[in-house]
Amino acid sequence: MKEYAILLNNTNCTACNTCAYRCVQEFRYHNQAGKGLFRTFVATNDDGLYHKRCMHCVDPQCVKNCPVNALTKSEYGPVLYSADTCIGCQTCVKVCPFNVPQFDEASKKIVKCSMCAQRVGKGTQPACVEACPTGALEFGEYKAIMSRAQEMAKKGKLTLYGDKEAGGTHLFVLMKGDPAAAGYPKAAKKEKPVKKAAEGTFDVPVMAALALGGLKKLTERKERIAAEKEKDKEN
Amino acid sequence: MADNQGINRRNFLKIIGISGAAVSMAGFPFRNLSAQTPFGKHSQEQPTYVIKRKVPQVCARACEADCAYNVVVGVDPVTGLERALTLEGRPEDPVSNGKFCIKGMAFVDSMYDPDRLMVSLKRTKPKKGTDNDPGWVTIKTEDAANEIIATLKKLKAEEILMCSPGDPYTNKLARSIGVTRSDQRTECFGTHYYINCLTITNPPNKYYSSTYTPSHHVAGYDFDNARYQVWFGFDSFSKCGKAGMLNHWAQGKKNKGKIVMFNPLRTPLADAFATEYHSIKPGTDLAVALAMINVIVSSGKYNAEFLKKYSDAPALINTKTRMPLTAKDGNVMAWCSIHKTAEPIDACHAPVMDGGPYKVKVDGKEVEAKTVLNLLKEGVRPYTTQWASRITEVPPSVIARIAREFAAAAPSAFIPTYKRDSAGPNYANSWRLRHAISILNTLTGAMDHEGGIILLHGVRVPWLEDLSKPVKPYPELPKEPVDFRNQFPVTDDIYRNKDFSAPGHYGMVGWGLYKTTKTKAVFFRNPHRGLHAMIQPQMAEAALEKMELVVDWNLYLDDLGYWCDYVLAAPHQFEEGKFDLRLYYPKWPCYVGGTPVQKSPGDQIGWGGLAAKIGMALAPEYWTTDGSTDPKKRVPLNMSDVAVKEAGVAENAAEFMKKGGLWIDRRKYDNYKTIREIGYGKPNGRVRMYIDEFAKAGYDSLPVWAPRWHDTKGDYTFSLLITRAPWIMHADPNFVNNPVLRKMTERNFMDCVWINPDAAKQIGVKEGDMVVLENNPEYMKDLPRPVKAKVHITKRITRKDCVLTFHGIGHRARNLKTAANWGYRDGDLIPQKDPAIAKKHDPTGMGWVEDVYVRIRKA
Repeated sequence: MKEYAILLNNTNCTACNTCAYRCVQEFRYHNQAGKGLFRTFVATNDDGLYHKRCMHCVDPQCVKNCPVNALTKSEYGPVLYSADTCIGCQTCVKVCPFNVPQFDEASKKIVKCSMCAQRVGKGTQPACVEACPTGALEFGEYKAIMSRAQEMAKKGKLTLYGDKEAGGTHLFVLMKGDPAAAGYPKAAKKEKPVKKAAEGTFDVPVMAALALGGLKKLTERKERIAAEKEKDKEN
Repeated sequence: MADNQGINRRNFLKIIGISGAAVSMAGFPFRNLSAQTPFGKHSQEQPTYVIKRKVPQVCARACEADCAYNVVVGVDPVTGLERALTLEGRPEDPVSNGKFCIKGMAFVDSMYDPDRLMVSLKRTKPKKGTDNDPGWVTIKTEDAANEIIATLKKLKAEEILMCSPGDPYTNKLARSIGVTRSDQRTECFGTHYYINCLTITNPPNKYYSSTYTPSHHVAGYDFDNARYQVWFGFDSFSKCGKAGMLNHWAQGKKNKGKIVMFNPLRTPLADAFATEYHSIKPGTDLAVALAMINVIVSSGKYNAEFLKKYSDAPALINTKTRMPLTAKDGNVMAWCSIHKTAEPIDACHAPVMDGGPYKVKVDGKEVEAKTVLNLLKEGVRPYTTQWASRITEVPPSVIARIAREFAAAAPSAFIPTYKRDSAGPNYANSWRLRHAISILNTLTGAMDHEGGIILLHGVRVPWLEDLSKPVKPYPELPKEPVDFRNQFPVTDDIYRNKDFSAPGHYGMVGWGLYKTTKTKAVFFRNPHRGLHAMIQPQMAEAALEKMELVVDWNLYLDDLGYWCDYVLAAPHQFEEGKFDLRLYYPKWPCYVGGTPVQKSPGDQIGWGGLAAKIGMALAPEYWTTDGSTDPKKRVPLNMSDVAVKEAGVAENAAEFMKKGGLWIDRRKYDNYKTIREIGYGKPNGRVRMYIDEFAKAGYDSLPVWAPRWHDTKGDYTFSLLITRAPWIMHADPNFVNNPVLRKMTERNFMDCVWINPDAAKQIGVKEGDMVVLENNPEYMKDLPRPVKAKVHITKRITRKDCVLTFHGIGHRARNLKTAANWGYRDGDLIPQKDPAIAKKHDPTGMGWVEDVYVRIRKA
């Protein structure tokens, strides 16, 4: 399956929140949203608009730190959340560099965007992207979206947020000025983890672990055979 | 082998092999070494609902665009029941282009609003008001209608007021029983509508249609293709959410169109679409417009060819009477540069637009006449850019440059007006600003041109009177109506004689009801945003207490209901069929229809049926085809059947809906063709700049500068700006009673009043403080009601002499669980219109809403 990402061109956004309401209807979470727990929401701030939504990190801290694997990073982009597995420990709330996961006290579960994984699998765009009246949201293949975002940033002298923050994300935000002034969290910029394992190949640590394990097993086997032979001799 | 605690070689190789295969198949990058499942197995990869059907619908009452879309009906996973779930765009609709807005989606949810009125109610306790128990009893809608009819029968026509927009049913009902109809579109569309009527077309015209439209006007804007636009307060927060427009503005931006915005409020629309933004002193936009006219006419940057052929620029005006010289056929005269004489404008091959004055013989007497263009040039001469800058605080060089750029980009350039919010409506210069805008759009030849003002053409929806002509003329309307229309002869003539659907004087209805005893019964056809959504409801409330009968036909029991004797349950807009034109973007002839999504869950009667029932009871001679009282002879109401049949689109509306409910003729836009058909003058229509009706009524026929009626005094220094959250429509419970939208509003501080940081410092308030906004008693003499609200300090208010209020919140009706007692009500600060003051300043009587300065103090 291809890897996807969302491009949010904030310079075309008017904070109409059509994306937010469409999301509410898509996932039927009116009660949570009525309490302010939105999976995506646009805030009109003095120095710009802030879309609070999951950035779908390349190297998600929430996934790494979730003690029960309720959060998983899919190969096609979104960080998925399993409410059934979640124990409500809120570790993800604490470790997210973008302050995204919200804890619903009533259900003891997390509220967070899934990039409409159910639609992506069917070949349709996320609901928010489809609904956006100005085309401020775009959806497409990760690499194409990333190149487009980088090119648009260069051409339009815009700030690109989400490309380097927290090691890169699957949401690229283009905007004028300082994202922090508009409300975006100041996440540390890091190089993206090298992605070598796609399309069914093994990642270095895995390979190393398997190789070391294998070597250890082979050494042990040799030692065991030698020991057995020695034992036989003694007998 | 008891000592062997590890796995043996065979098993180890097996594990490695299986793991490797699994890894290869899953293709997971193992970045995070976390558990993984194949695609489609994760709970978030499962469909969230099952779609059962998609029902075509057209938005109505949420904004002026009226987007077409499909209502998606499916199985709600929360309840397991089938219901409407969301919307899906219709890309073929030229207005929406496949988009829809948050309000459209909220309509889906409001069908199931637990506070929706499902039954009709009858009051049993006399004390009215939201703080009193009405002693409601439920009543069958049919029975309630019969009781209402019985009471109405006892009253004279002039004692009844119909508060409703001018839809075809209301029009026929009001006309047939001879009562005044007034509605709340005054401040929204009134000025715009009437100036359009007076400059572009005199209704009824060839395309004048009976569809529910915001203003029954004929002009839209080619936002997609304009090279240059100037917006005077057009970028309100409410427009930030209008998908039917946003998609066009986005397309215009893609096409490199420039937009200059003037507003004391910097909205996200300005952030997204303004190529330049200028903070302007509230209520002074007219000065910029007049200076722009001056720059254009004095430098000769107007479109002379267009003006000669398609406008009244060469028309001769008698300098003494201020009236145009007309030929025997009523058409205006022009001065021929070859024959050196006045000739009918269309017969004149070489009309002059400059020079003069000209001596013309009229009925044997010599009179002095000047051309309209010359009068305009002379009139705007004092309005230099320096002069405008002193008033507006916009640099003169900026105004001059914008005027030149605007003219250079024409005819693909225009100034839009439709509904103006911030910096717009006030008594003194709102109508003049609208007139000046029309003149600017004419000077550059943008009228009826692609990229400029585009006119409705090629389609029409008949009126009920077209389907069945009344057997005798309708009765005379009340001579002295409660809304004082008769004191505004220019607009009264349009309303009485040309377009009964014209916007009413709602801003004076409260005044009239309160100050006079003319009215004994008020029937509100409340499209969920009636009298209490607007201005000084306290005056209307006091007035309604003394009425013999107050009725509201409504989807909700809202604030107004607590002053009613009957509240009739209305169907939801998605429970009704629709038929519409694409008026907001009339580039191509187009019809669009909607099918009911579901049956109304109670015994609601749709408005057409109810109007016909009341009409048959009170004035049957106008509601039957032969003037009898025979219900079998009731007039046909099937306007959409006739429209599609006449257009050759389908045999009837049902067939039209079967075909998808959308027909569009994407023919090439024929520049300057429609103005010939619908403009002033016959057979060749023209745009008018000079409005002689104003002169006749004692007002200025061409715009001049006039200061605001309301001035600053003492502490009353904050000019009131009004806007709405993008997802709220007036005080419509469809939106304000929606918990999700309420939360959105709060999260964006749109339940607060907004002031500039310097202003906050000046009055000593901090973010989140409660403040009181008060009117100057000199301007709010009756029933003042100060507003208490939380303050939000923001640089988006770019001046310290204004305060932004958000319209539509502040409900008191306690049955609306989400909306009740949330926020403040801006309308409490806006005085009802005293007709004596209004007519002194404004011949249309339409503008006033923001003509208010308030004092702000810490609560």
